[in-house]
Order: sequence, then structure tokens, then C-alpha cells
Amino acid sequence: MIRFGHIIIATAVVVNLCAVVSGRHGLPARENTAKIAAPQRFPPPEFESGYDLPPSPAAPHPRQSIYEYIDVAVLLAALILASYLVLKMRSRRAIFVLMVFSLVYFGFWRKGCVCPIGAIQNIVLSIFDRDYAVPITVSAFFLLPLIFTLFFGRVFCSAVCPLGAIQDLVLLRPVSVPDWLASGLRVFAYLYLGLAVLFAATGSAFLICRYDPFVSFFRLSGNLNILIIGACFLVVGLFIGRPYCRFFCPYGVILRQLSRLSRWRVTITPDECIGCRLCEDACPFGAIRKPADEWSATEYVRGKKTLALLILLLPVLILFCGWAGARFKNVTSRMHSTVRLAERIYLEEAGEVEGTTDASLAFRATGREVKDLYEEASGVRGQFAIGGWLLGGFMGLVIGVKLTAVSVWRQRTDYEADRAGCLACGRCFKHCPRERLRLSKKDKAIS
Amino acid sequence: MKSPDNNTSGDVQAVSAWHRSAVATALVGAVFSVIVLALIVGNYIRGRVHETRWEKKLENLRIEISNQPDDEQALLEEIRRLDLEFRRAMFRVLDFSRTGSYLLLASLSVFVIGIKWAGTFKEKMPAPQPQQGAASEQIRQAMLARWSVAAALGLAGAVMLFLAIGPRIDFRATDAAADSYPTPEKISRNWHRFRGPEGAGISADVNMPESWDGKSGKGILWKTKVPVAGHNSPVVWGDRLFLSGGDPNRLNVFCFDALSGELLWTGDVKRAPLKPNEEPVEVMEDTGWAAPTVTTDGKRVFAIFVTGDLACFDFSGRSFWSKNLGTPDNVYGYASSLEMYRNLLLIQYDQGDTESEKSKLIALDGFSGRVVWQAKRPVANSWSTPIVARTDSGPQIITAADPWVIAYEPNSGAEIWRAECLAGDVAPTPIYANGLTFVIEPYSKTVAIRTDGKGDVTKTHIAWSLDEPAPDICSPIGNGEFVFILNSDGLALCFKAADGEKLWEEDIGEGRDSFLASPSLVGDKLYLLTEKGIMIIAEVLPKYNELARCELGEECCASPAFVDGRIYIRGVENLYCIGKEETTQEP
Repeated sequence: MIRFGHIIIATAVVVNLCAVVSGRHGLPARENTAKIAAPQRFPPPEFESGYDLPPSPAAPHPRQSIYEYIDVAVLLAALILASYLVLKMRSRRAIFVLMVFSLVYFGFWRKGCVCPIGAIQNIVLSIFDRDYAVPITVSAFFLLPLIFTLFFGRVFCSAVCPLGAIQDLVLLRPVSVPDWLASGLRVFAYLYLGLAVLFAATGSAFLICRYDPFVSFFRLSGNLNILIIGACFLVVGLFIGRPYCRFFCPYGVILRQLSRLSRWRVTITPDECIGCRLCEDACPFGAIRKPADEWSATEYVRGKKTLALLILLLPVLILFCGWAGARFKNVTSRMHSTVRLAERIYLEEAGEVEGTTDASLAFRATGREVKDLYEEASGVRGQFAIGGWLLGGFMGLVIGVKLTAVSVWRQRTDYEADRAGCLACGRCFKHCPRERLRLSKKDKAIS
Repeated sequence: MKSPDNNTSGDVQAVSAWHRSAVATALVGAVFSVIVLALIVGNYIRGRVHETRWEKKLENLRIEISNQPDDEQALLEEIRRLDLEFRRAMFRVLDFSRTGSYLLLASLSVFVIGIKWAGTFKEKMPAPQPQQGAASEQIRQAMLARWSVAAALGLAGAVMLFLAIGPRIDFRATDAAADSYPTPEKISRNWHRFRGPEGAGISADVNMPESWDGKSGKGILWKTKVPVAGHNSPVVWGDRLFLSGGDPNRLNVFCFDALSGELLWTGDVKRAPLKPNEEPVEVMEDTGWAAPTVTTDGKRVFAIFVTGDLACFDFSGRSFWSKNLGTPDNVYGYASSLEMYRNLLLIQYDQGDTESEKSKLIALDGFSGRVVWQAKRPVANSWSTPIVARTDSGPQIITAADPWVIAYEPNSGAEIWRAECLAGDVAPTPIYANGLTFVIEPYSKTVAIRTDGKGDVTKTHIAWSLDEPAPDICSPIGNGEFVFILNSDGLALCFKAADGEKLWEEDIGEGRDSFLASPSLVGDKLYLLTEKGIMIIAEVLPKYNELARCELGEECCASPAFVDGRIYIRGVENLYCIGKEETTQEP
């Protein structure tokens, strides 16, 4: 029998195949190496004195292909191990150790690149740009956590993601964020994902990489603004569990939806919930759902009316947000270098700004017609108008579905880990008396 | 160490000791982290201050280079020395920062380990509070969540609206899609340089006034005093008229309303300071401080002065850029006017003698003032203005000087052809018509050169050369059928353009009039402005036939501009606009 989860896996694989086909995927290793050693965009001067120019610094340094495959192997091993530790061994301590390893390896050793979060953009760009080839290792980084999430829940978030690990480590005094507030904050993650896809598809920017708040820590260097943003996330993370993962991570958005369909997932209790309420405050990420009483008849009728209204509102929201998204094309398209340059040239030509920039001077040195640049920029804006419709429509759908979802009454008799929001960190295990009983039985059996 | 779960009364003290150790470890890590962080921040600030200072120094040196091109090598050496010094300092800062980062990472790790460790001794037991009204709480949460989601959407929309604040730029709008430089059609409708389009002196509009009188004010639409004198000619673009003026105290660019004569703005051009041991420039009275005519690309106006100071203003009078090309070594003072080709400002900067190798043709990006190319010229100082001729084989910059007439490719500055045919102090500007360029050797010779050659065409492409009296100042004029030249004393000659056959010779001055302004052609009529300010209007073919004489009542040196049914004449003191409307102004 075909399960819905299988359809999702198949979709993800097809998306990757599209990326492969459209992006001349799978360059031979030597071709990749040749890309690394390809001529520089601005050839350095030829010194008559015999001076040898040192190689250009790059962070992270280009690596040989073999190491990229090793990274994939490590990722796969870490995902398998995390799944085992979360679902079978149910050991927070072991998960913690794996988390520290992932932070050291994928974070500080590999400098946070490639990561599955940023790989979203590579995949999207390779679909929209036929000249962009996405390496098979990047595809693997993108796909493996998705597949594991479909089977085992968010084990990638629990102990493999270095961004999650660094936030988890600094969580010292957890303060719970009310569910209603968390619902609102999570909208930003969807918006971030939508914008990242839009900018990647138009070849404007890799937004996720550019504003990765923790990569500067991993590389022990970086843009000051990003360092400050990262530091802010860590300071907030002292009290609020994994703020980036929960409210901003675009990959987390995908993982949330896949996790709802996962074959196996984290349970607080190893067998049955006895309703002792000891786990109620165990989760610093607000991912434990309490049992819910039945609504009164009056509330039920009122709730039904609200729900009906929200369902009717859904297409209106999609259309309105799509329309608004297209209207903002002038703002979003500024991420594209051609539009930025055209606007600068326009302002210079109109005398509305003083002086020139390196980019505008370089453009003028080409002798290219300004109106050609304007035409090109108009074309890019046209792409953003279409992208704005899609992004706005997507956000309208997200908002509409969220409004509907929070208004639905769900009967629940046990304490459960939230299917989408549970990060499989294993903190709740030890709060459950049934788990303690299981462990003591296990100890006795061993002894 | 005991696990906190297995605490017994006897173990409490031991656990307490472990806890204190953990807290102390965390404290040490925290204090060390703060110290290291403070040092890193201090180091960063130091680096930024150093960088800012260095950038300022570098910018000053860059300006120096553009102002003092003769000292370029020394200034470049200084830049390299500063650059090395800066790099050394920056690498020291980076090394410090890198070491600090490792220390910070280590100390933070100690802090986190300590604090986590301490936490294991103080774990709180779960203590659930009494639960009441789960259903109503769920309803409340649902309502708040809806507001929260809506607020998030509103916030995102507000941010987008905030980002949308600012000028709305529509690239498809007509103005925005305009060319960055004027089209030939636009140029032909204006008078953008000395003697108008291509320097030919030919009016595109044939409906020009043929009668006026400065004394009575008849036909004078307006008359405005020019604040500072100069021998340069008016340039007109749309409803703007530009002039320059100068004296020992100031160098100015003036913008007038071409319709009313109102002075709209005055642009001050800063003179470059003299270099050590440099003699102040001596300016001959006949040349003046502002002999070169300005030029415009329809958005900006460019002016050069006898001192080598060059400036660019936009049409609102805002200074775009200025630079000094070095005081020109020129016996009578620099007087070559400026020319535009697309975005390039062309400057014929001829100096010294043929051996001195000082002369060059410079092309600057009109927008930025950056040198796009420059070509060295084996010629002596000259006063002629380059023209961009639209030949059958493409545009050519044609220059005339002693001894070479040289044509250049406008985009690259590559030489196309050259002909050795001139001598003396070459001031008349060449003209081009029907595949021939006409140049004048002062007092003695008029030469026609075919422009389809390559390399040295002295022996192959000189179509004809006539040893007849030729002007020393006034440029020739022609329409492809004839070539007309006007000597300063009023002796006029007309040749057949194709073979140089002399059609007629006439003494227009008759011993009374002399000419400094170059002749102009309106349809088939010549407009010849005498030094006394009398405009002689005459038929040129089949023979000279004077039609009218119009007195301005003021002496004139500059060549007039003909645009849109109006003639703009610069007198030594006033600027005149002559039109056909039956309006008069007080003289």
C-alpha cells in the first residue's frame, strides 16, 4: 500500500532529479577540481620581478571532492546514530554527545558549509538556471535529512544540525514562549523560506547563507553585523530554546511538515501515558501537547462558525497576499545586482545622488548603453512580479492554514510530543515515571 | 562525584563542593571571556580607525594624482608605501583577532561546561500546578494565536512598506529609458559645442532672422550682461544657454535661460594650487582666461580654462567633478574648445613644440571625469578644436595641428590616419563634408584630405591643396558643394569642394571690418559677424552677394549660435538673443 509519506519522498527525489537534469548535475571530479582552479574573474597582474602571487584566501577553503563525500558519509552516519539514540536508546546524554560532535565537525571543522539549510538555494537555483550545476554532495545534504525526517522525525534537528547544536548548548534558563506567540513567530520562518527561494530562483542572492547567524562563529571571523545578529540569537537562546530553529529556520519549515508524516517519532513515554503531568514543563521548545477537554456546546458552535469563516477567507488571503507580493516587486528586486546597479545609475543620471560607486564606474567603463541596463533591470523586475505573486500566494496560504489550524479543536487524552514541533532532543524522557521504570527494569535485567 | 538523583544526607556536603567547583569554573570562564571579548573589540576599533585614516590618505593621494599628473610616479610610490604599511597593520590586527577568537571560544566552552555542570546539581523536580479549565484555556489560546498570526502578517507588511519608502524608479518610463548620451538627432536640434553639431557652423533651422538693430532694439529678444568676460562662444541645449568666463580671480560657468536671458546659475571652478617652483600662468589679453567654448551632452556641461582647470556641472548647477590637466605649455594661452562623443569628453591638449612630446588627445568619461583613453600626439601647441566626423567608414575624431592632421577612432583613441600638411600656429577648426575634411594652415594654405585612408596618407589621400591666403583664426565653412574661408582682414574665398577650384574671391572687409568669429551657414546664406558686431548676411553661390547688414552695437569675438529660429551672440560685455518676434528691448 502506498503511504502519503512515500509520495512526499518521491516528490523530494523528483525535485532533486529536476535539479540534476536542469543543472547538468554530476560533473566529474576532475571538472569540479578544474572549477576550483579556473581563471580568476579579475586576472592578477603579471609581476616582472618574478613575485609569485599567494593563492586568494577563501572561507571555507575549496576542498577536494573526496572530502565532500566523506562529509556526506559523516552526515549519513550521524543521522542513523541520531535516529537510534532518539527512538531506540532514548538517551538524552548520548544525544547531547552526538550534538557536540556535530557542532565540532559540521560547525567548527567544516565551517558550517555545506549545510542542508543553505542547500535549499542550490537546489532551487539549479532548477531555474540551466547553467548552474549543483554537486551531488549538496543534493545529498539536502535530501538525507528530509528522508530521515519522513521515517524518524526531526532527528537531524536533534543532534546533527550545528546551528541547532550551538543554540541548544547555550540554553541555560529556559523560559517558555506561549503557544499563541510561537504560532505568530513561526510565520517568519515561512516568509524567510519564501524569500530565500525567490532570491535563489531569480539568481539574486543566497539569502540563507548571507544571513546565516552562526557561520561567523564557526569560522571565527565574519561580517560584524552578522556577528552581532548571531550574538543576539545566542543571548536570546540563553532563555528561549533554539530561537532560530523554531522561528526562522527555513529548512525547519520543510522538516516540520515532513515530520507530521513520519513513520516513527519521539514519544514521551515508552509505553503508556499515565497522566501524571510530570512532563508538562519538560520541553524548553514548547513541543509537548497537553490533553484537551471537550468544548461546551456553545463554544463548539461558535468555534465552528469561526472555522467556516476562516476557511472561506483562505482564497481571499491567497489572492490578496499574492497581489500585494507582486506590488512589492520594486523592493524585492533590489536584491538583484542588475536592479541595484540600474537604480544607482538612474539616480546618478538624475542627479539625485552624489558621486559614483565602484559598480557604477565599472558599468560606465564598459561603454554599455544605460537604456540596455534599464531594459534588463525591467526584465528582472518582471520576474520578481511573478515571484511576488507566488510568494504572496504562498504566504496567504500559510497564514490561512495557520489561522484555520489554531481554530480546530483537537481531542487529546495523553501528553504527546508535537508531531511538527518536536526537535527530538530527548529532554522529556527522564521526566516520565514510566521511562524511569523502564530504565530500572533494564538495569536490573543487565545486572 | 555522586549523581544528584542519589543524594543521601551524607553526600550533601560532597555534592555542594562539586557544585561550588562547577560554579567557580563557569565564573572563571565568564570573566576570561569578557576580558578576551573586550580586547577583541578594542583591537577591532583600532583596526577600523586605522583603516579610515588610511582610506582618507589614499583618497587624498588619488585626488593629488588627478590634479598633478606630472607627479604621478612619485604619488604612486607613496600610495604603494602606504598600502604596504596598511597591510602590515591590518595583518597584525587580524592575527590578534584570530588568536583572540580561539581564546574566546575556549573560555566560552569552559563557561558553558561549568554552568551546565553546575545545573546538574540544582535540577528542579517537576511540580505541576493545579490545572483548571483546559477547554477555556484552549479557546483563549486559539484566539490569541489568531491575533498573533495576523500581527505577524501585519508586521511583515509594515516592514515591506517601510522598505518601499523612497523614490519609485520606473525604468520603462520615457525619461528613464532615455539614452545616457544624446542621439545625433538630438544634437542636430541643438548647438552643443563650438560652431554647433560637428563643429560645422551650419544651422539646422533655416528660418533665421535677417534683420535687427542693436541700437533701436529691433529684433533683439533679450540682452543680458555677462558677469565675467571670455572669448568663448555660446552653447545652447533646449532652453539652457551656457558660457564661461574668467579673470585672475575667478573661473566661472554661466547658465542662462535661453528664452528670457535670465542668469540661472553661476558655477565656480576651483583653480588647482600651483606646484612648488611652478610659475603662475601668464594669460594674453587676446586669448583671455576663458577662450575655449564649453560643451554639453544634454545633461551636463563641461568647461576648460586657460589654466588647464576642467569642470563638469549638471544642468542645475551642481558641480559633478573637476580636475586640473596641468598648466598647458602654450605660447598664446590654451584655447581649444571641447567636443563630445557619446559619453566621452574630448580634449585636444596640444602643448610645446613637436619635439617636446607634451601634446595629447584626452578622452574622459563625461560622467565621472575618469580618463578613458589618451593618445600622445607628435604635434606642437595648437588652438584648433577637434571634430567628430560621421564618415562612411564610421565616426572619426579629426584634429589639426602643426604638422599633422590626425584622425582617431573615438571609442579607443586608436589612430586611423594622419597627413603631414600643416605648419604654424594652427587655430582654425577642421570641417568635414562628403568624405573630405578641410583644414587650414594660417595665412597660406587650404587642404582637403580624403578620410578613407589608413596610416600615413600624406602622399595618397590629399585631394587638393591650395596655396591661397588663408585665415589664422576663423574656421572654414562648407556644405560639400563649396568651401568658404574668411581671413581676419575680411578677404573671403570660395572653392569648389570636390577639386578646390576657386569660385570667387571678395574683399568683404573693405578695409573697415575685421573678423574673429567664424562664419556660419543658414540654408544657402552666409552669416559673417565682424569684430564690430555687424552681421553680414550674404548669398554664397553662384557668387558673393551681400543681402543685409545688421548692427549689434557691441564688439564681438565669439561665434554665434543658431537654434530654433534664434541667434545667440556674445558681445564683449553682453549676451544677445535675436529673434523674429516683433518685440523690442531697450538697447
